[in-house]
Amino acid sequence: MSAIELRNINKVYGNSFHALRDLSFDIRDGEFMVFVGPSGCGKSTALRMIAGLESITSGELRIGGRLVNDVDPKDRDIAMVFQSYALYPHKTVRENIAFPLQMAGLPKTEIANRVDEAARTLELTTLLDHRPALLSGGQRQRVAMGRAIVRKPAAFLMDEPLSNLDAKLRVQMRAEIASLQRKLNVTTIYVTHDQVEAMTMGDRVVVMKGGVLQQVDTPQNLYNRPDNVFVAAFIGSPSMNLYEAVLNGRTLTLGSNSFEIPDRVFEYRPSLNGASNRQVIIGIRPEHMNDAAIRPSSAEISAPVTLVEALGSESMVHLNIDASWVDAGDPDAVADIGDEKAAVARFSPKSTARAGDIARVAVDAEELHFFEPDTRTSIW
Amino acid sequence: MRRARRFNINGILVNAAALVLVLSYALPYVYLLMTSIKPAADVQQIPPSFLPAVVSLENFREVLQSSALPKAFASSLAVAVLTTVLSLAVAVPAAYVATQYRRRITTLFLLFALVTRMVPSVSLGVPLFQLLKSLGLLDTIPGLVLAHTSAAVPLALLLMSAFFEGVPKELEEAARMDGCTRFQAFRKIILPVMIGGIAVTALFTFITSWNEFLYALLLTSEATKTAPIVIAEYNSVYGLAWGAMTAAAVLYSLPVIVVTLALQKQIVGGLTFGAVKG
Ligand SMILES: Nc1ncnc2c1ncn2[C@@H]1O[C@H](COP(=O)(O)OP(=O)(O)O)[C@@H](O)[C@H]1O
Ligand SMILES: [Mg+2]
Repeated sequence: MSAIELRNINKVYGNSFHALRDLSFDIRDGEFMVFVGPSGCGKSTALRMIAGLESITSGELRIGGRLVNDVDPKDRDIAMVFQSYALYPHKTVRENIAFPLQMAGLPKTEIANRVDEAARTLELTTLLDHRPALLSGGQRQRVAMGRAIVRKPAAFLMDEPLSNLDAKLRVQMRAEIASLQRKLNVTTIYVTHDQVEAMTMGDRVVVMKGGVLQQVDTPQNLYNRPDNVFVAAFIGSPSMNLYEAVLNGRTLTLGSNSFEIPDRVFEYRPSLNGASNRQVIIGIRPEHMNDAAIRPSSAEISAPVTLVEALGSESMVHLNIDASWVDAGDPDAVADIGDEKAAVARFSPKSTARAGDIARVAVDAEELHFFEPDTRTSIW
Repeated sequence: MRRARRFNINGILVNAAALVLVLSYALPYVYLLMTSIKPAADVQQIPPSFLPAVVSLENFREVLQSSALPKAFASSLAVAVLTTVLSLAVAVPAAYVATQYRRRITTLFLLFALVTRMVPSVSLGVPLFQLLKSLGLLDTIPGLVLAHTSAAVPLALLLMSAFFEGVPKELEEAARMDGCTRFQAFRKIILPVMIGGIAVTALFTFITSWNEFLYALLLTSEATKTAPIVIAEYNSVYGLAWGAMTAAAVLYSLPVIVVTLALQKQIVGGLTFGAVKG
């Protein structure tokens, strides 16, 4: 078990593409750390540098206090689960799991015991003599896990290990991996582009974009206190709604709507005090907008309804808010919403709002997020 | 059973087309076979007959009793085996590196291998002759092995590259994470996975050397003459010995055919290897 430290890590690929910029953070001993971000943001690059499969252009990488920049993968005492599983096709499940132990030169009886133990943990006992080609995707995934845990390494690295499974199996394996990690208590880095996986599995989450670290924090803090517009929009589904607005004293003007901001917000974010015609970006999560007819509020806006998705337990109401929509730079968010500039509100299923109506929307103004329009960072 | 009816209409056409194709490339060989089992006297009859009137093993008896042919077979075998071993020892690692560590230089390297395959061997015969002569390797087994290897390596390189293209990079990476050096990963994981492809490449390399005529003609004389040369000489040294020649040719073709049939499964598996499923 080991802590992992990254200090000003940079990666410039052979084609002079600068994939990672000044990455610095710590992963604590025994922690489950998730790397998340849109595809191409450098998650795999960072993971592969920690594994030793990719050279470090500059910066320092320490595992268990030891500087490992130039240490071979085999000498880093780290196990990795690949997205494609990378099982050895000519070896049986037993031989696949035993291979790292053989390479470590363990005695035969010890290997047999450890393989059996790993197989029991992962419910692979009946498959030990099969070849990978005969296994289902979920079983292959377990074998890849088995090959990793059997070594009792200092850390596990996993690169989108569930992305080749169907949705149902993915949810099941997500829980199994998280509970296995808690049981083994081995430092783990888990890469995913799926923020739901990140939020449900990680002790802490590293959010990245374009090779730059955005925020390292617990899932709760990422959700409640995002450092910038990108994290605010990336974490949570549907995404946070982001608009340009003007704050004057306590009055917020959002397009043609205005409402008062409660005192608590100013205690929470003191630098908003005394604003006069201050341009801000505001963020409202879908669950903080409700049907005013059901839950009235002192802060209300009205907006035309463009679409209602009734999900049974709630209704996703798309609103056309007449303020400047802010692009957070998250490609996935746009894909989620469809018509990108609509705001999404999570109404109670009792709401009678229909497409074409002008809805009265109660905004939970205490829950508003505020960002600087130029730096796009949170205003505290 | 709807498939059965379709098979009747399309299947017959497909089978007929396949039969025509097979006949067109098998016909010369069948004719060779038929000629070899005719009595020596019937071979040159005019007009020639396709089927033998009488089946006789006279031609085979004759070539096996002569001393030249067994010796030539031994030379051919030694040259082909050594060429195969040497070519694979060079081409397998080279192809792996060229495909797995893609750089502009490795692409050029493979392209160059392809280009050398296009140079007619006639134009390389004389330089090879001079080279071997200055090395004192004319009419020796190592000399001919080197000449055949120079022709076989580019072929083996291209074949093995095609096979290695299908090996995901993660396989080597997984092995390195599991405690292998790069070389151990290659030896313990990549080579065993590629065994089908290596078998196919070995067979093609072996056949290239076994069947080779021109270099053998130029670079050997009495001491290490290979079988194709001896077979051709039946028409000059012993007059027009068509019968003996066809019998020797049939005998010479048998090992290759037997090995190919025996390795049938590996070859088809190797040729359609594709991505390694993990
Ligand atoms: N070997 C490479 N050479 C050049 N660019 C690369 C290489 N590998 C990855 N990249 C680039 O680096 C960026 C980050 O890639 P990657 O770490 O795989 O992203 P992610 O895993 O977050 O999707 C991408 O833009 C990708 O195109
Ligand atoms: Mg990736």
